[in-house]
Amino acid sequence: MQGDLGFWVLQGLNALQLSMLLFLLSVGLTVIFGLMHFVNLAHGALYAFGAYAAATAGAALGFWGGLLIAPLAVAALGVLLYLGCIRRMRRAGPMAQVLVTFGLIFVMLDLTRIVWGAQALSAPVPAVLDGRVAVLGVEYPAYRLFVIALGLAIWGALALVLNRTQIGAMIRAGVDNDQMAACMGIDVERMFFVVFCVGCALAGLAGAVAAPILSVTPDMGLQILVPTLIVIVIGGLGSLNGAVAGSLIYGAVQTFGAVLFPQLASILIYGLLAAVLILRPAGLFPARG
Amino acid sequence: MFRHTALRFWTLGLVAAAAVLRVLTAEYFGLELVAEIAILAILVIALDMVAGFGGMVSLCHGALMGAGAYGYAMLTVKAGLAPPAAFAGAVAITGAAAWAIGAVCGRSQGIYFIMATLAFGQMAYSIVFEQPAFGGDDGMSGVPRIDLSLIGVDLNDPRSFAFFCLLLLGGVYWFATHVLQAGLGRTLTGIMHNEQRMRALGVNVWRIKADMFGLSGMIAAVAGALAAQHVMFVSPGLLNWTVSGEALVVVILGGLGTIIGPVIGAIAFVMLKHEISAHTDYWHLFVGVILIAVVMSRANGIFGWVEQRLSRARKVTAGDAIDAQGRTDAAGTRARDDA
Amino acid sequence: MSRIVKRAAAIAIAAATAAQAQAEDIKVGLLLPFSGVYAALGEEIEAGFRLGLDSFGADSGATFEILREDSEASPPVGLAKTRKLIMQDRVDVMAGVVSSGVLAAIRDVVDGAKVPLIVANAGNDEATGKACSPYITRISFSNAQLNRPMGKYLVDHGVTKVVTFAPDYAAGQQMMKAFGDAFVAAGGEIVAQEFTPFQKTQDFGPYLAKAKTSGAQAVYAFYAGSEAIAFVKQYDSFGMKEALPLYGPGFLNSQLYVGAQGAAAQGIVTALHYVPTIDNAANKAFVAAFTAQAGHLPSEYAVQGYDAARALVEAVKSGATDRESLAAALPRTSFDGPRGKTAIDPATNNIMQPIYVYDTVAGPDGPTQKVLAQLPVEVDPVNGCEMATLN
Repeated sequence: MQGDLGFWVLQGLNALQLSMLLFLLSVGLTVIFGLMHFVNLAHGALYAFGAYAAATAGAALGFWGGLLIAPLAVAALGVLLYLGCIRRMRRAGPMAQVLVTFGLIFVMLDLTRIVWGAQALSAPVPAVLDGRVAVLGVEYPAYRLFVIALGLAIWGALALVLNRTQIGAMIRAGVDNDQMAACMGIDVERMFFVVFCVGCALAGLAGAVAAPILSVTPDMGLQILVPTLIVIVIGGLGSLNGAVAGSLIYGAVQTFGAVLFPQLASILIYGLLAAVLILRPAGLFPARG
Repeated sequence: MFRHTALRFWTLGLVAAAAVLRVLTAEYFGLELVAEIAILAILVIALDMVAGFGGMVSLCHGALMGAGAYGYAMLTVKAGLAPPAAFAGAVAITGAAAWAIGAVCGRSQGIYFIMATLAFGQMAYSIVFEQPAFGGDDGMSGVPRIDLSLIGVDLNDPRSFAFFCLLLLGGVYWFATHVLQAGLGRTLTGIMHNEQRMRALGVNVWRIKADMFGLSGMIAAVAGALAAQHVMFVSPGLLNWTVSGEALVVVILGGLGTIIGPVIGAIAFVMLKHEISAHTDYWHLFVGVILIAVVMSRANGIFGWVEQRLSRARKVTAGDAIDAQGRTDAAGTRARDDA
Repeated sequence: MSRIVKRAAAIAIAAATAAQAQAEDIKVGLLLPFSGVYAALGEEIEAGFRLGLDSFGADSGATFEILREDSEASPPVGLAKTRKLIMQDRVDVMAGVVSSGVLAAIRDVVDGAKVPLIVANAGNDEATGKACSPYITRISFSNAQLNRPMGKYLVDHGVTKVVTFAPDYAAGQQMMKAFGDAFVAAGGEIVAQEFTPFQKTQDFGPYLAKAKTSGAQAVYAFYAGSEAIAFVKQYDSFGMKEALPLYGPGFLNSQLYVGAQGAAAQGIVTALHYVPTIDNAANKAFVAAFTAQAGHLPSEYAVQGYDAARALVEAVKSGATDRESLAAALPRTSFDGPRGKTAIDPATNNIMQPIYVYDTVAGPDGPTQKVLAQLPVEVDPVNGCEMATLN
C-alpha cells in the first residue's frame, strides 16, 4: 500500500489540510507575538468561539453566512478583550500575560457552555462542496480541498501585505524594533490593535472552517491550543514563514506518523520539538535574524 | 534573595498553628481538605523556588508532580518496592528528569522558557497517556500509603495522613528556604536580576539554573508521591499542562517570590474552589475571573499586597520593610525587563 | 428461648423497620460529571434520574434527598467526592459514574465502606468481572454486552470481512475484543484493526484512507461524544459509506448526536440497549414524560439514569432502608422498563437486558432509529468475578 502513488497523494492532502487549519490559527498568534511580544493562550478559545458563531449563524444564514460572520464576531470579541485587559497587560511581562490569558480560557470555556450547552454541535458542509473531486486519481472530499485552497490564499494574501505594502513594511519595522518604529512616526499602538483584531478574525475563520469537519464542543479550543503552540515554537515565534513551515511540518509528522507509525505518532512530534529547542532554541525561522 | 522578615515569620507561625488546630478538631472532610491544601502547597513552593527566585516560569511542574506520583505508583504497584524506598526512588528519578529539563530549557528566556517547559510537560503527559504500561487513560489503582505502624501510626486514618502531609510540608518549607538562603539561591537570584553580570563574574549560569530546577523537581515529586498516596490512585490528568497553569495561578494568588505567600495562595485556592463548586457547576468561570482580577491588579498576590501595605503604613526604614518593598518592585521590574 | 419466640421477635423487628420505612428519608449521592468532556452525559443522566424518582418515588413512601457532586470525569476528583459523600454526608446509596476511570478509582472505597453504588453508565467489563463487588450494581451496560451480539449478527447478514476502528483506551479495546471474538467465532475475519489516539484526534482522514484499500466488506467502529460526530461525518465525506457500510455499537450514532450528524448518520446499522423508538408502553410513557421536561428525546444515558432511580425505588419498596439493606435489595430488582424486561445477574451484579439492532433513517425531525431486531438477553460471562456474600 505504501508503494502506491494514491496513498501518498491522499495522505499528502490530509497532511496539507491539517497544516492549513493550523496555519490559520498559528499565523495570528505568531504575528501578534512578533509585534507585541504577547502570547495569547486564549487564542484556542477564540477558535472555539468562531466555530460556535459559525454553527449558530450557519443554522440561520447557511454555511457562507456563517463563514463571513464568525471572523467578524471573533474580531469583535477581540476588540473587547484588547480594550478590557490585553492593552493593560502589554508591558506586564510574559508570566502575567500567560496567566491572564490562562484565566480567559476558563472564563470563555464556561461561557460557551452556558450559552450553547455542553452538547456538541455541528455545522453542515455547503451543498457546493458536499462531494468529492478526483485529484491525481484519488477521490478527495471537496470541502477539504476548499480548506487547503483557503489556507493557501490567506498565506498568499498575508505574504503580499507584509512584503509588498506600506502597512506590511510598518509591521515588519514594528517586529524588528517597536521603539524605533514609533520614533519614525508609526502609530505603533494602533497597528498593534489592528494586527490583534486580524489575528482574532483568522482564529475565528479557522473555527468556522473546522466546524463542518470536526464537531463543535466547548473544549475544542483547549485541544487545538497545544498543537498551535508547537507549530509556532518549531517555526519561530513571530515569523510568518515560521508559521507556514511549522504548520507543514506538524501536519506531515502528525498525518504520516499516524498512518505509518501509529504507536509513535505523538511522541514523534514532541521529539521533534525537543530537538528544535535544543538545536535552535529560537525556532527554525526566527523573526529577528 | 529570600529573607525571613518578621511578617513572614509570624504568618508562618499562624498558618502552622491554625493547621495543627484544624487537624486536631476537623471532621473527615476537613481533614481531606488539609491534606489537599498541604500537597498543593508543596507543589507551589517548588514552583515559587524557580519562578520567584530564578525567573524560570515553568509550565511543567504539573508534569513533574505527575512524574513523582507515577514513579511512586509504578515502583510500589508494578515493581513491588517498599513504599519508603519507592518514595525516595520517585523523588530521585523526577529530580534527575527536572535537572535535565532545566539544563535544556535554561538557555531560553521569558516566553521561550515557558513554551519549552510546556512542551516537555506535554511530552511526559503524552507518554503516560498512551503507553499501556502506565495504565493509559484509566490510570492505576491500589497505590499503597507508607506503613508507619512501627511507630504506632496508621496513615490510612485521615487524621494521621493529614498530619503526615503537614509534617512534610513543614520539612519542604524548611528545605526550600534554606536552599534559597544558601549560595545556590543567592546566585540564582543574582542571575535573575542580571544574567550578563553573573556570567561575567564567572558563574556557570546554566548549571545553577539546572541545579535549582532539579531541586524544585524533587519537591514537586514529593507533592506527587503524596498525592498518589492521598487518593491511592494515579491518572494521566495529573500531568496535564492545565495543572501547571493552576499551580502558577496559586503562586501568583499568594505572592510570587515569598514562599509563604504561595502557601497562603494554596489555602485560599482550595477553599475558594470548594465553596464555589458547591454552588455552581461553572466554578471555573469564577476562578478565571478572580485570577484575571488578581493578575491585573498588579499587586503581588494576597501576601505581597499585605507586605506592601504594612511597609507603607509603617514608613520605617527597617531593613525588613525595605526588603519587602524592594521585592515587589524587583518583581515588577523583572516582569518589564522580560517584555 | 424457643424458636417461636425468636421468630416472633424477628417479625416484630421486620414490622418495625417496615413502619420506619414509611417515613424513611433516603440520602442519595449522585456522582456525575457536570463539567469537562462528559458534562453532556452527566446532565442527561441527572435529568433521567430525577424523572425516575418523580415518577416512581411516591409509591415507596420514602422521601429521597439527592446530593449531587461533580466528578469532572477525573478519577482523583471523583474519589475525593465519593469519600465526602460517604464519610461526611453519610449517604445511604450512591448512583451515577460516567467514566470507567472514575469507577475503577472509587471501587475500593465503596466496597470497603459497604455503601451500595448503582452504576448508571461506566461500562468497563472488569467492574462486573474481576473487580466485581456485592455493593456495586450496574444498571447501564457492559462494553462486551453491547458488542458481542453484533459479531454473529454481521456474519448472519453476509458480512465476513471487516476493519475495526476505536479510540485507544480501555473501553475501545474491550468493545473491539468482544466484537472480534464473537465475529471470528461465527466465521468472520478481521482484516485490520485501527486504534486512534483517544481524545487527541478529531481528524480521522488519515486512518479512513487506509481502511478503504484494505479489501474489507464493512467497517465496525466505536466512538462516542464529539469523536462520534466527527467520525461519522468524515466517514460520509470521504465517500466510504457506499463502499463499506458502517456498523458498530450504538454510541456511534446515539440519539444525543444524530441531530449534529444529520444525513451522514443515515444507513449506519448499530446495536444498543436503548433507542427512543423502542415500541412498548413503558417506553412511550417515558419518552413523553422526558420530552415534556427536557425538551428533547431521551438518549440511552437518560434511560440509564431513569432506571437507576427505578431500581432504587424498587429496592426501597422491598423494605430496604439503609446501606446494608439497600445493598442486599438492589441486585434483586427486576422490572419492565423502557428497555423491555431487565434484571440483575446475581453472579456479577451486571444488568441483563435485550439488545436492539437498528438502522438510522430519515424522519420528519431529522434522523431517527428504525429497530431491525431485538436480540434476546445474553448473560455476560463471569470474567473472574467471585461475588462475595453480604454479611
